[in-house]
Amino acid sequence: MAIDALEMKLRPPEISLTPYPSKTITLANGKTMVVREAKREECGVLLGTVYPLLGVPTDYYDVVAARMFSELLAWFRYRIANEFVIVGAIDGVIAGIVTSRCVNDHLGMSLHTLAIDRGLRVGAQLFAAKMEHHMDYLNEDEVWIVAESPIGFRRWMIEYELEDRSSGFPNIRHELGGVPTYALTRKLWEKHKADKCTGTRPVPMDILATADRLKLPEEYPQIPGYKRSKQ
Amino acid sequence: MIDFSIYDKQEPKIYGYKCPKCGTAYYPATMLCAKCSNRRDPSGIVHPDWDKFSLEGPCKLLTWTRVWALPEGYDRPYLLFGIVEFPNGLRAAGQLETENPVTGMDLVAHVKESSERPGPPVNVFVFSDD
Amino acid sequence: MTARVGIVGIGQIKFGNLSEYDLVDIMAYTATDALIDAGILENRRIIDQIFVANMLGGMINHQTGIASALVSRLDLEPTAAELVENGPASGASAVKLGYMAIASGIANVVMVVGGETMRKVTGWEATDCVATLGHPEAEYDMGLTFPALGGMFARLYMERYGVTERDLALVAVKDHENGSKNKYAHIDGTCTIEAIHDSPNAHVVNNYVAEPLRLFSVCPVSDGAAVLILVNMDSPIVEKFKKKPIRIAGIGSATDTHCMHNRKDPVEMGAVKLSAERAYAMAGVKPEDISFAELHDPFVILELAISEEVGLFPRGKAVEALRRGETGIDGRLPINTSGGLKAKGHPVGATGVSQVVELVRQLRGKAEKGRQVKDPRYGMSVNFGGLANNVITIICAKD
Repeated sequence: MAIDALEMKLRPPEISLTPYPSKTITLANGKTMVVREAKREECGVLLGTVYPLLGVPTDYYDVVAARMFSELLAWFRYRIANEFVIVGAIDGVIAGIVTSRCVNDHLGMSLHTLAIDRGLRVGAQLFAAKMEHHMDYLNEDEVWIVAESPIGFRRWMIEYELEDRSSGFPNIRHELGGVPTYALTRKLWEKHKADKCTGTRPVPMDILATADRLKLPEEYPQIPGYKRSKQ
Repeated sequence: MIDFSIYDKQEPKIYGYKCPKCGTAYYPATMLCAKCSNRRDPSGIVHPDWDKFSLEGPCKLLTWTRVWALPEGYDRPYLLFGIVEFPNGLRAAGQLETENPVTGMDLVAHVKESSERPGPPVNVFVFSDD
Repeated sequence: MTARVGIVGIGQIKFGNLSEYDLVDIMAYTATDALIDAGILENRRIIDQIFVANMLGGMINHQTGIASALVSRLDLEPTAAELVENGPASGASAVKLGYMAIASGIANVVMVVGGETMRKVTGWEATDCVATLGHPEAEYDMGLTFPALGGMFARLYMERYGVTERDLALVAVKDHENGSKNKYAHIDGTCTIEAIHDSPNAHVVNNYVAEPLRLFSVCPVSDGAAVLILVNMDSPIVEKFKKKPIRIAGIGSATDTHCMHNRKDPVEMGAVKLSAERAYAMAGVKPEDISFAELHDPFVILELAISEEVGLFPRGKAVEALRRGETGIDGRLPINTSGGLKAKGHPVGATGVSQVVELVRQLRGKAEKGRQVKDPRYGMSVNFGGLANNVITIICAKD
């Protein structure tokens, strides 16, 4: 479709990003999670996945869901530069989504991590996949990270020993604003990745095919008694 | 006379206690001696308090663990803990500062003051290579 | 001659995250289920004594006098009520005191309610609260938490008896297999040995918590409640209850040194052995008479260690029985048929009561399909009030 001149002015300039190579992870319950990059045309099912969590204040799901919803929509509508989205799917059903973007060749800006399935470390695995993409495939030097929830803070800031850059405020300020910025450097990634990042590549065709058409989750542990409206 | 040394900087110490009647040593302090049933009065006012001695120096590692899930107040990814035995037979639990802990290895017990736990600073055992 | 005591009503709520609800409401809701099970909902003032088991209400929920609060919530005035706190053995202690009240003649019908809401605070705060069970200077101040003590115990035990991390994973697989069929269990899912140990992903999926214990070696933090209605079986009052009593045949309890490092042999749990011996003696049974057992396993290593201390297996041999499948639901001696603390969950004050609820469900023949023990006669529970420093063993019988 022809993109008119005004639309071109409104779109940010894009770097062509190396695609993230898909992998599988065997989760604790024995199920296989396919971890792959999402495509823009899948935005609908991603937005539908995030939407019910907009009203869940526990563990800051509402803030994360609201911000991720806008990141996905902005990505779809070409209003955010160099964003990538990685999704974890079990039998095609979305178990978690991560969003992130490249500022330039050297710096990544981690946006959000949202896990639907709980108790299986889906969030931790997808966050690690996000870092893996920045560091090992996009070859960046460091990634800036912030956390809205105490669980996120604990998981990332302490477990990865992220560098505290809050003293550099306001020159160093994560795009999400308002909260202290931490950084994953190459040195920290090399130190921690063996314990944090796992997966098997390449993904056999038949397993990759299960995640071809992403499906909306029917249940949300965060919302007891949830029933997806059939409208 | 005023003992001005109480205003000096104190080296953190952790003490074992000795029953003045039969000499049995304890850590942590007890209130009744298991051997001779002698009582302890921490105030030293009604009955004598027991002699205390500093626990430190060479010890042997009996068991250890590396804990990744630390409680409130600790901002590090993990902490190493161990249980040691001193030559006098007393045992203690504390933090380990050694790269590759192995059950049965020889270590040295030190004491440091720590403010990591919520609340006022406390004295903590650190078992290290030297 | 002391009166015989039997259990005529049980109630339990699904363990999990109940943090949006009030602790005493949760207890009252579960107690109502037990009153209905016993057939005395309208006639509930037949209860003449209530014991409430709770450990952390004061610390986490800023609530004290919980037994008094529960009485009004259930419209049970003027029934006598007391709170029992014995760490994570509060539940079994409350059962023991309930038994003693009836056996002594002071009461004829006793309600035992155990409950806890730990998820009103973060996991790290809950861990810190549980750590206060340790010696304040020699353990708590050092930064030790119960996972740390569990890790050190596990290392010693595993080195001595040749237990491997794969064996710990096998216990978790078994526990989750049972727990997934238990409608009251916190964790619904199962796990596979491949996923949590054998696969190349396993070290990340099943990460270390307190080495050598991993995520799937330690129990979750849970909210929940469990309730028992006890009756004097030798009194005519027993006719007022619909269900045949399951008799409490034996209770034994014992203590050991407060600091784990001061045990003669830190791997041996003398209090477990003694409490079991006392319970066997009172019940007039031996270990070989036990059909199934609920053993206190906040760290799965304890399932193995306790089963040996209580004489179900020779020392060092429990792991071989595990590997042969003897402790699975279809095995010779099923252990933790409820899923254990690992899969059922561990709301500390409720645990000891929920263990006895499981004994009753199995002995009544009313456990879910796929986790019912075949023809059980005697069931045993072991509940810890710390790391093996305060232990209560209860044996129930189907007469």
